[in-house]
Amino acid sequence: MELKICHLYPDVLNLYGDRGNVLCMRRRLEWRSIGVTVEEVPIGQKLDLAGCDMLFIGGGQDFEQEVLLEDLKGEKTANLKAAIEDGMTVLAICGGYQMLGEYYETWDGTKCEFTGALALYTVGSKERMIGNLMFQCREIGSNVVGFENHSGKTYLGPGVRPLGTVLDGFGNNGSDGREGARYRNVYASYAHGCLLPKNPLLCDQILRTALEWKYGAVELAPLDDSFETAAHDYMETRLRH
Amino acid sequence: MPGRVALRICPNLLGVLVKDVTVVIVTGTNGKTTTSRMIEQSWQDAGISYFANKSGANLLSGVTAEFAVHSTLTGRCRHTHALIEADEAAFQHIARYVHAAAIVMTNIFRDQLDRYGEVTHTLEKLRLGAEQCPDAILCINADDSLCSSLQGELPNKIIFYGVNTPIYASRVEEVSDAPYCIRCKSEYVYDYVTYGHLGSYRCPHCGYSRPKPELSVCRVIVTDDEHSEIVFRLGDREIPASVNLPGGYNIYNACAAMAAGAALGLDPEKTAQSLSHFSCGFGRMEKFEISGTDVRMILIKNPAGCNQVLSFLTQRTEPFVFVACLNDRVQDGRDISWIWDVDFERLTALGGMLSHIYVSGVRAEDMALRFLYAGFPRERIHVQKNYGELMEQAVSHKLPVFVMPTYTAMLDLRGTISRRYGYKQYWE
Repeated sequence: MELKICHLYPDVLNLYGDRGNVLCMRRRLEWRSIGVTVEEVPIGQKLDLAGCDMLFIGGGQDFEQEVLLEDLKGEKTANLKAAIEDGMTVLAICGGYQMLGEYYETWDGTKCEFTGALALYTVGSKERMIGNLMFQCREIGSNVVGFENHSGKTYLGPGVRPLGTVLDGFGNNGSDGREGARYRNVYASYAHGCLLPKNPLLCDQILRTALEWKYGAVELAPLDDSFETAAHDYMETRLRH
Repeated sequence: MPGRVALRICPNLLGVLVKDVTVVIVTGTNGKTTTSRMIEQSWQDAGISYFANKSGANLLSGVTAEFAVHSTLTGRCRHTHALIEADEAAFQHIARYVHAAAIVMTNIFRDQLDRYGEVTHTLEKLRLGAEQCPDAILCINADDSLCSSLQGELPNKIIFYGVNTPIYASRVEEVSDAPYCIRCKSEYVYDYVTYGHLGSYRCPHCGYSRPKPELSVCRVIVTDDEHSEIVFRLGDREIPASVNLPGGYNIYNACAAMAAGAALGLDPEKTAQSLSHFSCGFGRMEKFEISGTDVRMILIKNPAGCNQVLSFLTQRTEPFVFVACLNDRVQDGRDISWIWDVDFERLTALGGMLSHIYVSGVRAEDMALRFLYAGFPRERIHVQKNYGELMEQAVSHKLPVFVMPTYTAMLDLRGTISRRYGYKQYWE
């Protein structure tokens, strides 16, 4: 078996340790002797998803996110939407998550069109939502821990489910108790920290989704997750008290 | 605390106390403390009567308290000069009251995103501070495209300083904190990079480029485990210097200190000599001897600084032990995700030369996880949250130990070392 991961905009969306998510997926595939290649698609490069099995997109600084919006329009957006409808696995974090939505409205009313791949939108607020984040994710039967830092409040539209229910922190918008988004094989979250290394169950769930899309039912061999579990449990315990 | 009370009584107290004192403010993301210690040494050697805010008292209340302590009851400062290290966020508040003769800006890097936000926000804070001191000479790092962009936005006289040559023979790819032009958002082109986003940049679209520094490092002769031998250029003069701290980033700090000297009209030859014998700040490449083993402590705050430490470590040719202490208190930055932006894979690439890694601090488990995913063998990664035990185990291999703590971990760990092994406390 083999997975080809496309890392979109590693050159600009690299703010909160996002490369750690790609590294985590790579290692957990390698440790199981599953082949893995990562193709980085920076600004200005064509997004050809034909040979790709999954896509990762992270978050960045506002300054750089403005740089890429022009690049994302048109063909890249069309390819991304088609791939998502086709069932390709996507993991999107923070700014990348927002970009999958329809638009971002700044707190003073300026509207910025995004890809519209998912029925969700984001409204900017003056206060940033910053701090440790924990949410319950039924799909993996575990709590997910991370750190959030965003001023955008995201609201899910029809057909889009949350990834989990907030236990500690703000999540999508600080008011409806929802965190992240699920649509077809798209996983989106505000949690960095980074997300996957200390949430190995979530990482494996995403990898399994991508592998099954390609190969049908797949059984992932168990790994020694003692380091991962220790980091996860430390934060889970701390946020419970 | 006394500073806070004094400010309540007289908000402009600092303004009163600082009258007639020649003040130099040092601000920026990395290198504030070391640059300040270098400037301090040059003042000492020049026979200048001065005081400096030490032990991290770099907020407005702390600075006011320092001035009060060094003033007579009638509010006259006992010294002619004052050196203030100012936190990027506190700088604008301090600059409101203090009319500095010179302001030294070291650099801007991503740092504690939960507190400072993006690099452009930090730049704005520095601009707001400098704006309040139109008479101050600004000493700006020409190699930092963010700081340098202040030229033309402020009326101040500027002394640009920079490094005219790559520092390391081989350079690794690291995340740039400012790849796109601050003026027009096109991607910069570099003639060379020294580290991070520092180097000789130019924007092919709008023409914004590295200003030519008046004061520069024109040659790096040696940079090893203990020190660097460099040559400064000031106008037509070449001034050799030995910097008694290792690491490329300390070459920048030395250059910043030279620029501060030039701003005050000090003799550059003498300032250069001071660089060879200044005493480093606590935890800044500080050396200890524990049970006959050499231990060096290197404070880390952010990816840029941490990558610099790795550049230093990977130059080594002898085996060593590495210790990382990660805390997530407010002063460390509550968000630790930056450890995934640091290229720790470079330590794995050292193979057996790096014999063991110990991790400690509040977020030790996350640090251990980072090294595991960097490919370091799990049986040689040890979690030890007790600082006393940590040091005992780290020195037990009879190999040099390099300790890399975040800020509050450094204070705690240094406390342990002081108590157990009889070193000076950090506030002494």
